[in-house]
Order: sequence, then structure tokens, then C-alpha cells
Amino acid sequence: MTISSTTSQVADRKALIGKTLRTAHYRVSCEDVSDFLGVMSDPYDYVAEAQHVAPPSFAPLVAVLGLLRTFDWASDFWFDYRDGTAMFGEQSIQYHRPLYVGEEVEISAVISDVYEKTGQNTFDVVQLAFTIKGDWDGDITMTGKQSYILFK
Amino acid sequence: MSIAPNKPLLEDLAVGMALPTAKFGPMDRFDYIPIALILRDTNPLHLDRVYAQERGLPDTVQQGPLNQAYLYQYFTNWLHQPWDLVSTEIRFSANVFPDDHLYCGGEIEALESGDEHDLVHCRVWQQNEDGTAILTGKASGRLPKHR
Repeated sequence: MTISSTTSQVADRKALIGKTLRTAHYRVSCEDVSDFLGVMSDPYDYVAEAQHVAPPSFAPLVAVLGLLRTFDWASDFWFDYRDGTAMFGEQSIQYHRPLYVGEEVEISAVISDVYEKTGQNTFDVVQLAFTIKGDWDGDITMTGKQSYILFK
Repeated sequence: MSIAPNKPLLEDLAVGMALPTAKFGPMDRFDYIPIALILRDTNPLHLDRVYAQERGLPDTVQQGPLNQAYLYQYFTNWLHQPWDLVSTEIRFSANVFPDDHLYCGGEIEALESGDEHDLVHCRVWQQNEDGTAILTGKASGRLPKHR
């Protein structure tokens, strides 16, 4: 797919609505949780060892990094990340069960909406609907939506 | 405006009550390194002050998920158990930079009584010391029926 910044072709991003993105995996590793707890001191004594519950403040990192593995800026969003500017937009998450240290989560996502907005700049909003499942029980840990702002 | 108590039950709360506020910081640029490693995102905007300044920013930009983590910790530590968290809706409004302080607060928007547990729905926010909104949104959590 050719990447273009011309208005007519960027408007075609609406054609992306409904596109299923590749499934991604992320292990909630002891190392990552340990690094996180080194930054975020917490009155709860979280333990960065397998099968212990991870802090919920770690959840947005899992959603963000997991979703970034489900798409390619160029081939999925028709966006040149080397020259363009992209930002996180709105994010909504429902929490179905805690995250556990050591578990691998599977992140699946679909492009649920694309729309153009104009403020000081014109940009496209690409919204993903996602589901994150844990491998221990196959249960859903999180569902939600994350949008990305792609400046034109 | 009245302030909601810590670890409340439904009967302790009312719509319009403010959540206790919290202050975090100062933010530390060296915290951005482990967060970059966790996120597998080594964008120099978060790590290289000169690179950021060449792009018109005052300093390196703190990663958005780290800003979120502070707001999450603030809200979930107000709940009886952190994973009583039910849902969040967050909008990213402004950047955070090294040495900034973050102030988190909220207000109760709605309360729901249930059979097994109750629910509290709040508007939540995070600001820097200038009062600039960093994050705004909503958060909901479960409340136990009894202490």
C-alpha cells in the first residue's frame, strides 16, 4: 500500500474501518514489573514474581505496548511514522480480571472507526477496539478502545 | 464541597463529593529509561533532551502511559482493593516534563447499588503545577457492601 499525505488519499483511511489487525502477544514478565515498581513506588507491596498480581497501574502500559504490536503504521494506517506526527488519543478500558506477573496475554484488535477532525491542524483519528486475554485461563483481562491521532 | 473519605462504602459517598487529592513528583527523567524498555519504545523524544529541544520542546517528554500510571495508582489506591477497578476513560491533553509535579483529583459523578457490590463512577483528572490538564477522564470502581 502506498503511503501518501495528500488529502484525497488520506481521506481513504475510512476504508480501513473493520480491518482486523494481527494478533500480538506480550508476557507480563517479572523483569518488566520489577522495572515498573522501581519507578512507581506503591503502598501496596506488589511482588514481581510469577503468579502474583500486577498493579493495575501497569495495565495501561500493557494495553499500549500490546496494541503497538498489532499494527504497522505504514501498511495498516497508511502513515509514515518517520516523517509524520502521531499521538495517543482517547483510551477506554474495561477490566475483567487482574493481570498476573508471568502470564502471557494475547492482544487482538480491529479498526473500529476512522474520522477526520480539524482544529489548529487537520488530523485523522484511527480508533481500535481491542481484547486482551490471559493464557492461564483464556479469560479476558481487558477490553477497550484506543485511538491514535495522525496529523496530516 | 465535601471530601470523600478513604476506603468508603456507598453510604459514605454522595454525587458531587471530591476525591482526596494527591501530589506526585518531581518527575525524574531517569525513570523514562525503564519505561522505554518496558514499552520497547526508544523514541528519542523521551530520552534525548537535545533532540526534544531541537523540536521546540523544553525537555524530554514523559511517556503518556507513565502519566496514566500515576492517575491509576491514585484512583485504585482510593478503592478498597486496587483491582476493584472496573473501567477507565482517559483523554491525553498535555505533555509532562522532568521535574514537573503531578496533581491528581476527582469527583463522584454517580453511585450504583448492587446485590453483590456497589459501584462508584468518578470524573478524574491530572494536572501539573501550573494547573494545565495532563489527563482528564472517568474511572469506575467496585465498592464492597461491608467493611
